[in-house]
Amino acid sequence: MKKIAIAVAVALAAGSAYAQEKTVKIAGFGAKSGVVRSFGVNSEAAMIAAADVINNQGGVKLADGSKAKIAVEFYDDRCTAEEGISIIRRIYGTDAVVAVGPTCSNVAEPLFGILQKKVDDKGDSGLQMPVFTDVAIKIGLARISEWAFRNVPNETTMYSSLFYWLKTKYPDVQSVYGGVEEDFAHSRASWYAVMKDRAEANGYKVIGNSKWLVNDTNFSTQVREIKHANADIVAISAHPFTTCGVLKEMQRQGVKPKLLVGLTSSSSLETLQGCAKQAEGIIIPTSFAPVTKEGKAAAETTAKFKGAADLHSMAAWENIFILKQVMESEGISADKSQLQADRRKVRDGLAKLKQTQGLLGVTRRTEDREADKPYLFVQAKGGSWVVLHNPL
Amino acid sequence: MLDFLQTLSDGVLFGAIYALIGIGFTLVFGVMHKINMAYAAASVGGAYAGLLVLKAVAAAPAWMVFFGAFLAGGMLGWLVYVTCFHFIPLSSPLAPLMSTVGMLLLIDEVIVHLTAGMPQNYPAMFDDVMLRFGEFTLRGDLLLVFGISVLAMIGLLALLYRSRLGLATRAVAQQPIAAQLCGIRVTRVNALTFVIAGLLGGLAGALIGASVGALSPLLTTPLTVKGLVVTVIGGLGSIPGAIVAGLLVGGFENLFQQFRGVTERDMYVMLLLFAFLVFRPGGLFPAKS
Amino acid sequence: MDFYFGLAQTVGIHTLLGLSAYIVLLTGQVSLAQAAFFAIGAYSAGMLTVLAGWHVVPALGVGSMLGAVTACAVGFPALRVKGLMLVVATLAFGEGVRLFFFNFDYQVAKGGIRVGPLGGEGFRQIRFFQEHGWTTGEVMLFIWVFVIAVMALLWWFDRSRYGAVLRSVGEDEVAAQSVGINLTAVKVSAMTVGGAIAGVGGGLYAHYTTHIEHANFNVLLATFAIAYPIVGGLRTVFGTLTAVIFVQAFLIEGLRFLGDWRNLLFGALIVLAMNLRPHGLFGRHGA
Repeated sequence: MKKIAIAVAVALAAGSAYAQEKTVKIAGFGAKSGVVRSFGVNSEAAMIAAADVINNQGGVKLADGSKAKIAVEFYDDRCTAEEGISIIRRIYGTDAVVAVGPTCSNVAEPLFGILQKKVDDKGDSGLQMPVFTDVAIKIGLARISEWAFRNVPNETTMYSSLFYWLKTKYPDVQSVYGGVEEDFAHSRASWYAVMKDRAEANGYKVIGNSKWLVNDTNFSTQVREIKHANADIVAISAHPFTTCGVLKEMQRQGVKPKLLVGLTSSSSLETLQGCAKQAEGIIIPTSFAPVTKEGKAAAETTAKFKGAADLHSMAAWENIFILKQVMESEGISADKSQLQADRRKVRDGLAKLKQTQGLLGVTRRTEDREADKPYLFVQAKGGSWVVLHNPL
Repeated sequence: MLDFLQTLSDGVLFGAIYALIGIGFTLVFGVMHKINMAYAAASVGGAYAGLLVLKAVAAAPAWMVFFGAFLAGGMLGWLVYVTCFHFIPLSSPLAPLMSTVGMLLLIDEVIVHLTAGMPQNYPAMFDDVMLRFGEFTLRGDLLLVFGISVLAMIGLLALLYRSRLGLATRAVAQQPIAAQLCGIRVTRVNALTFVIAGLLGGLAGALIGASVGALSPLLTTPLTVKGLVVTVIGGLGSIPGAIVAGLLVGGFENLFQQFRGVTERDMYVMLLLFAFLVFRPGGLFPAKS
Repeated sequence: MDFYFGLAQTVGIHTLLGLSAYIVLLTGQVSLAQAAFFAIGAYSAGMLTVLAGWHVVPALGVGSMLGAVTACAVGFPALRVKGLMLVVATLAFGEGVRLFFFNFDYQVAKGGIRVGPLGGEGFRQIRFFQEHGWTTGEVMLFIWVFVIAVMALLWWFDRSRYGAVLRSVGEDEVAAQSVGINLTAVKVSAMTVGGAIAGVGGGLYAHYTTHIEHANFNVLLATFAIAYPIVGGLRTVFGTLTAVIFVQAFLIEGLRFLGDWRNLLFGALIVLAMNLRPHGLFGRHGA
């Protein structure tokens, strides 16, 4: 009887010691369904991988000096606004101190809309939950709420730099013609507000642009317009499926511009899977390639958790490390009774940041809670993405 | 003028794809008086399954992949029949409709799961062939699709009007009870209709993949909508109607795009449908009652 | 708690969408246009609260009325088209409305920024509830007031002569006509009521998601609209409500723990439900 009592006491003691190990919960969410499924899968893997590295190094240091492990829980929002909103409310009801996501810009916009617009605005019943976005890239979204932060590349800076570099490298290249996916928020904004604007700013003549829709399949008219325009550079602001459709039609009609420029998020495996041969030579600015020691390590670790490393998933990786830094500098408690205070601390910490450490180099944080990430230019060569120019 | 002709011909040739999908919808409707909403999804699914041929036989020629898609389409057609039409009493019209919607969602999801949603490069035949007449060009691969549509139509009409199965099918379509009394096994005829439509659908899916250059789950919804529009314009149950309507819709669609831009294009296609519904509700080739 | 209130909001709005299709289905018309009336309600109510500063209640009233007027206009040509052709025609109409909003720009400068619908980019910042400090619970109650009112109205129809008339037209048009029922009046009125219900639902939808765009009102939403009453059964409005709870609460949220499998189950369960209960969970009238 005594032996059992001791065994039970030891078990209880061990159990409570185990229970005393604190965890800080970070919620991830994104699209794990539909054509954007790979984004969610990769972001989840990157987040879990990053948390694993941090936990192996001891975890996050809390305000009282103890250490806590990071626990990541990922939710699938199926790239729909309603589910995204439902998920952020669900996350709010858990003990997660911050949410990382979403994947889709059409989810981010409504989701940021239900957050409290200005901190400490008592009359605003919006949700008070910090959201740190890894993927949703449509321009200008973090402005919607002071609880929204993003670690996505600044397309304006990248394309400005790209066009400038192209002008210096190929001085006889003068004109640009665009191809735009009109019915998708990101690609549409990226042509009119970014590519077209920045090309003109760098001295290019923008002859015009052709339009199509995100699930179009017949591009003969648009490619004929591209052919007639006979521009030196053809810039395609579209996602992999239609980009490939257009490129294949261009091959069929014998349209060969001097240079091809693509959309940031198309610098992924998808484009190469769909049309590696026709995409040969396309130049895209991106905020990740495994060229640094940290970048290579991150890619390898993420691969162990069955995720691919690209500019989107690696932003999620960076986010976890940035959050660790913020949590430590603000001193969170990881105590359930202080949950809302912890969330506020994370938000304030993110707002205070002037720069963060990214996998390519130092990222500057802007006034409107966006990021100015270091970038480089990649080119599709022989079925894979090769670094064309590294401005760092 | 040349621009106009080129746009028109590009559209009409692409319409051959809509024609193939329309034939499948109209065939099922003609026999069972039901819409199979899952048809385009099953066709695309068949096309994906065709890619498995490439896994089995490295660097297989395009026609082998098409054949694989053909067979897979037939199997999927049978599956849709069993899950949506075999057990559900045909007297409840809404249940099979909703069930096919469920199958559409299921097939789409299976495709997304197996391919992680990424576009898959599709092999093509004659995709580098462009017939040129001066400035005017015709896509060789779309001419192939058109040729196959015509062959499919001839084959199906021959089947329907020259074979015992066709006779049985027409009997079931006109008077299912009388057909049963004559000893025709209605369930067998219905199942076979789905299989034949599925075979054609699988081939259609493969040809679509080849024409577009890549397969993506994004194809399902527009093909379903266009397929239904083509079926109605052509006349529900009319196979030649589906072909003519497919070419018509393809041509008009491209012309609308040329003149009003891509964002308004589909609105005009819908208006075209409404024009038919108002002035010629039976479609181009109305069913003789 | 917020999460459950949010879920109840979703269920409420989808119930309104389903009920708008339910009343039309009673007359034997399968309408894939309900998402279009939903969209009209959404954009108009949103524009009134955001651009004109109206209170949400009159805005919803206008949204509902516009939905009803459009539905009435659609109801007349719909009479000429029977059965499955109606399905395609309403689908085409729905797509047409969606494309209209895809091309619709109406922006006004308010306090330094431009607000309003902007074509493909959508209509952002419809924040009436948040700006006026409504809590999630209060919004939920607000939405459910409408849901309960509509359910009560339809339940009352079912108990009255109007309901019997609707269902008789749905059962057998020729027989109904032979007892002197005016088919036009019945079918168009059902369509109009459906449009009004969808208009309210849409207006509420715009305010609860704060951002709407054309892609929200696509073929999938139109399909969901008829799926709820078909899966729930046409015997009673509770069928539609049950189907909405089954899909939104159980399938979408409740099965989240299944991860990837959730999506596969979705289609599979619909197929299964239709095979096991072809007349819907609650069955059909008189069965």
